[in-house]
Formats: sequence, C-alpha cells, structure tokens
Amino acid sequence: MNKRLLLIFALILLLASLWFMLSDFFDDEPLTTTNPYEYNIDNYKIVDSSVIAWKETMNIPVTGDTIRSLGVDQQDNIYVGTFHKLLIYSKEGHLKNSFDVGGKVYSLFVNRSGKIFLGMKDHIEIWNRSGRKLQSWDALNSKSIITSIHCSDELVYVADAGNRVVYQYKPEGMLQMRIGEKDSTKGSPGFVIPSPYFDLLQGRDDELWVVNPGRHQFEAYNEKGQMISSWKKTSMQLDGFSGCCNPTHMAMLSTGDFVTSEKGIERIKIHRPDGSFAEVVAPPEAFEEGTVGLDLAVDSEDRILVLDKFKGAVRIFERK
Amino acid sequence: MSRHVKQRIVSWMALGCLLAVLCSFGMDASAQQRFPKPEFENGHTQPPTFTPAPRADFMEVVDVFVLILSLSVVTWLVLNKRSRKGVFWASIFSIFYFGFYREGCVCSVGSLQNVTLALFHTGYQIPYTVIAFFVIPLIYTLFFGRTFCAAVCPLGAIQDLVALKPYSLKSWVEKTLGLFPVVYLGLAILYAATATDFVICRYDPFIGIYRMEGSFNMLVLGAAFLLAGVFIARPYCRFFCPYGVLLNLASRVSRRHMTITPSTCIQCKLCEHSCPYGAIEKPVPAHTKEKRSGLVNNAIFLSLIIPVLILIGGYAGSLLHESLAKVNPTVRLAEQLLNEVETVDGIIPLEIEAFRSSGQSLESLYAEAAGIIQQFYIGGWILGGIVGLIFGITLARLTIYRYRKDYEPNKGRCLSCTRCMDFCPVEE
Repeated sequence: MNKRLLLIFALILLLASLWFMLSDFFDDEPLTTTNPYEYNIDNYKIVDSSVIAWKETMNIPVTGDTIRSLGVDQQDNIYVGTFHKLLIYSKEGHLKNSFDVGGKVYSLFVNRSGKIFLGMKDHIEIWNRSGRKLQSWDALNSKSIITSIHCSDELVYVADAGNRVVYQYKPEGMLQMRIGEKDSTKGSPGFVIPSPYFDLLQGRDDELWVVNPGRHQFEAYNEKGQMISSWKKTSMQLDGFSGCCNPTHMAMLSTGDFVTSEKGIERIKIHRPDGSFAEVVAPPEAFEEGTVGLDLAVDSEDRILVLDKFKGAVRIFERK
Repeated sequence: MSRHVKQRIVSWMALGCLLAVLCSFGMDASAQQRFPKPEFENGHTQPPTFTPAPRADFMEVVDVFVLILSLSVVTWLVLNKRSRKGVFWASIFSIFYFGFYREGCVCSVGSLQNVTLALFHTGYQIPYTVIAFFVIPLIYTLFFGRTFCAAVCPLGAIQDLVALKPYSLKSWVEKTLGLFPVVYLGLAILYAATATDFVICRYDPFIGIYRMEGSFNMLVLGAAFLLAGVFIARPYCRFFCPYGVLLNLASRVSRRHMTITPSTCIQCKLCEHSCPYGAIEKPVPAHTKEKRSGLVNNAIFLSLIIPVLILIGGYAGSLLHESLAKVNPTVRLAEQLLNEVETVDGIIPLEIEAFRSSGQSLESLYAEAAGIIQQFYIGGWILGGIVGLIFGITLARLTIYRYRKDYEPNKGRCLSCTRCMDFCPVEE
C-alpha cells in the first residue's frame, strides 16, 4: 500500500485516539442515577401466565396472634399454630376450636389418629383436638429450633434447624437416631441451613425427604438414616431454587410431586419426583414483597394450603 | 537469512500472538457482567468465589530490584554490548514482567502523578516503591540516556514490538505532535495536584491489554495505538508520554549517551534512515559566520517574543480554568446543586444522595469548590505559560545554527533502541 496513505491512516488513528481521550475526559458527564451494584431480581419475578396451573379458591383470614405454622389432618381440618395458640378450622374455613398452648408453635403435624405434634422451639408437645396436652418430650438443647415434624405410625421425624440435624423418634418419644449430621469421617457434608427454614416430610413409601436449603437440594433417607436419593437444582429461573436457603417449605401431592415455597423470589411451584419443574402454583406477584415462611400443606383432595403470614391468612389453591 | 530478516520474522510472530490475545479480549469485552451470575445448562459449575491473599510486602522490594536489574542489563546491552537482539529480548521480558505479571502497575509513567499528589497533599502517603519507580529511571537517564524507554518500560516495549513498517514523519508533523506530551504532562500534574484524577492511568492505552480486561473503549484505544504503531513507531512514547518529557530533558544532559558508531563515523549514510523515531541528527556543514546585526535582531526578537508567548499561553490557560475544573467531582456536584438540579429523570443522583447523607452544608461545599476552581486558575496560568515557553523555545531553536560533523542521535528524542547500531559498518 502507498506509504503516504498508510501514514495518513496512522495519523488519523492517533488523532482519533486523542479526540476520544479529550472528549471522554471533558465530557459533561451526567450524575449517576443508576446503581450498578443494586440487587435487583425483578426480572426473575416475571412468570409467564401459561405455566400458572393453579388458582386461589379460598382465603381463610387468621386474626389475632402472629401465625407461624400450618398442618392438616386426615379429615382435612386445618391447623394453624401461632405464637401462643393453636387454631383449628374446618375444611371450609370455619373456626372450630382454638386454645392456648403456652408458647410459640414453630411447627406442627397431625398424625392419623388425630394427635397434634407441636414443635415448641426446643421440644415436642403432643395435644389433642380439644386442647388437652397429652405429652411433653424432653427439651433438646438451647440451640434447637424445631422447624418441621412428620409422623408415621412407627416413627416421628423432627427437623432441628438450630443443630442442623434430623432426629428420629419412636412415637412414645424415645430418640432413635440423628440423621444427616455433618461428619467428615463418614463423608457426610451435613445440612447447610443459614436461616431457620428446614423442612421434611415422609414420601409415599415412607421414605424421609429433607430439604437441604443451603444446597438447594432434596435428600431422601431410609429409616436407617442412610441417604438413598437426592436431587438439586440451583437456578434463578422457575426450574430451580436460588438464594441462601431455598426452598423454605415443601409438601407432597398424592402423585408424589413436590410442592415448594421460596423466599427472596416469593413463589410456590410444583416439581416432579425426579426434580424437574412441573408448574407454578402461585407467582411472586401473588405475594407481598419480602414475604417469608410460606408454610405448606396438602389435603386429601390435593388442595394446596399456604400459610401467608404477611396477609394473615391461610390461602387455598386448586388446579384450574 | 540476514539478521534483520530474522528479527522481522520474530516481530511478526510476536505481533500475531498479540493480535490473537487482543481478539480474545475483544470477546471478553463484549460480555457483560451480570448479577445474579449466569447459569449454565451444560453442567458447568461455577467455581467458588475466593479472596486471593494480598501480595507479600517484600514483593514490592523485588519489583524495585527487578527494575534496577533490568535498567542495568539494558544499559549494558546498549552501551557496552551494542546488541539490538539483547534489547529486543529485554523488551519481551519487560512486557511479561512489568506488563502482564505486574499488570502495568506500578509504572514509572503513572508514578509522576503519585509524586505530584504527595507534594501537594501531605495527607497522601506515597509508597516508597512508587517513589523508586519515579526516580530510578530518571537517574539512569541522567547518566546513560533513555535506556528505560529502550526496553524496560512496558508501554514502550509493546509498541516497539509492533513497529514493523515504520515510516518517517515530516519534521513539522513531528514537532507539532511533539508538543502534546508537554500539555499532557501539565494536565496530568494539574489534575493530580488538585486531587481530581490520575489522567495518565485513566487513559493508559495498554493497561487493558496487560490486565486482560477493560472497557471496550479502552481496548479499542489500545488496539488503535498498536495499529498506528505499525507505521508510526512508538506513537504513545513520542506524542503522548508525559514521563517521556522528563526523560527527554534528563537525557539531553546525560553523561554517557549511546552513539551510532562505536568509533569514528565514516559518513557512509547507512544509518540515515534507520531510526524509526526520527531521532538521528544529520551532519550539518560548516556555515559562514552570520552577520552580527542579524544575530542581534534575532536575540531581540526572541527576548521579546518568548515572554509574550508565555503571557499569551498563561492567559489562555487561565481562561480555561473553569472548563478544566469541571472534571473535579466536587466542582461538578456544587455546580449541579447551584443550578438546583436535584433530580435526574425524577431520580435523586447517587452523588447528591451521598452529599446529603454526609451532613456537609451547602456553603462549605461551595467554598470547597471555589477553592478548587482557584487552584485551577493558578494551574491554568502555569500550564499555559509553560506551553508558551516551550513553543517559544521551539521557535528559538529553529533560529539557532548548530554545526554537526557526524550522524548523531538526538539525545533528547533517542530512545536507545539500538536499531541504528545494526546499520553501522564501523567496528570497534
């Protein structure tokens, strides 16, 4: 190429560089209106309406005390634990009974025979529907926060978020074993629980399912406390879970599908038994921003019951 | 295969590698940082976040040691070995050590801003390493010429590598563009002295390459300098580098500068066009003595014109002080508040929000801004005056007759790259 042309080209490049430097430096820069470090997850809260397969059909307002936990019995009566009371509603939402239990009900479960197991921070109490305390088990320790209970005829499983462990009891209250504890010698990584959300349930084959929220993982254990299966999915999208500790709660439909609730991105979804995403029950727009602790239950008709503390209600969802 | 051809092949290969690296940066540059992090469907798990341990303090001493060692080796290669090959490999070392390993920081070019800031702001604690990086190359230059520029400066080294088809510039173009480093130096000092900005670092075109990251604009700027550098050798060193102005001055009085020929010049003219930087002064034949009246007239003219140029430059600089001061964030904020620009598109800007939460009163902000503008007023006078002086000296030099017998390097402009030595047939 012509030497003169190359030189002119190079000189133009240099002058353009100089122009860029000067114009960039002396540019009348506007003041900063956007924070590039802002935590913004609004885009992840947008849900395509075609994947929302459920609708809210009933709303049971719960007045008075701060509500904390939710359960349902064989007859589909609804149980709500508060800071001091236990409230029992009919399937249609009529208050049937309420009584003082003398403490905060962190979690509750009603077994087949109608006994109500209450997780009272560090110990289990067993009550009947008429408000009589039948039994109170020994306290665990000062770190304990009992966040979930599930009973079969033979065993009672208790999730302790404070100690990051699941206890297996006999129905009479005898401690059988500790499940899932961190033990590097056995290669057990333990449960990662940054905040007090730690749920469990028994599946259709009586296997124990535990949410490991810090890992966004569902872990299945047999009655000997051995892990037999697990699935996990970390994702900001609908197909998984995100943040420090999600899902916060779970329940199981008669099909074996998992119903999950999350905080951060407030939503309720259904995942198939293999962990794949199935559908949305309630999108983030159905909840107040900042809603946490959406406890879940499923009744015999596969209605999904959601305890919404912010709205002070039990919200019931049915398939469209 | 001749030595020149071999060197050219190596240079082309090195340039090819550099372009490949630049292309990969281009791809990086187009990617956007997002929060939350992107997710991968192919099973890739994101590596855990970790905080790298800070660099050990003694490594700073190592850096200074490497600087001194590099300067000593290059000086020896230039003055004693007269080895272009050695200088070339020293450049490669500098590119990797001071460039890619040290990521271009601390560099002597930028260090002058730290030194300025330390001189004007007692609260600023300048690291000893930075002082060393500022002073040591100047000392070496005072004794041996610009051997720092030859192969130790990573900014120069990377440009030297790409100078594959260098063409000479017309003298007037060279001289005109050559004024810009003085202005750049003045601005860099002004902005550092007023604690406004480190302009040299902000517009270092090669830092993005050495750090393997940077804004798209800065990577394009780096690429533009390298591309221009293929045809105009070392454009940043010659027409931009503010530290080069200081080295130029120091080198003019250097005790032992490199020479083109190891002994007596035989006037073969082989080296005449060998310098890609146009730093070889040709012999000037003996001149008949000028008339006394002409010399007196010149002296009177210069003694009048230089002070006038200084005054004009200073006045012009002082007129620009408000525009220059607008870059300062305090002045900018004060101006916005004075104009009652409280919101932009209904949003309160972060700067105004931060100012309000600081508890500082408007009056004290305005007083602070006025103080800074006053500093720029004085600085504008000085900067403009110096530019006027340099312009006057450049004019004066055109009128001064210099007799030169042999081909000699211009001690100020010569970067001691030793290319010319390869063309000299004279042996020691």
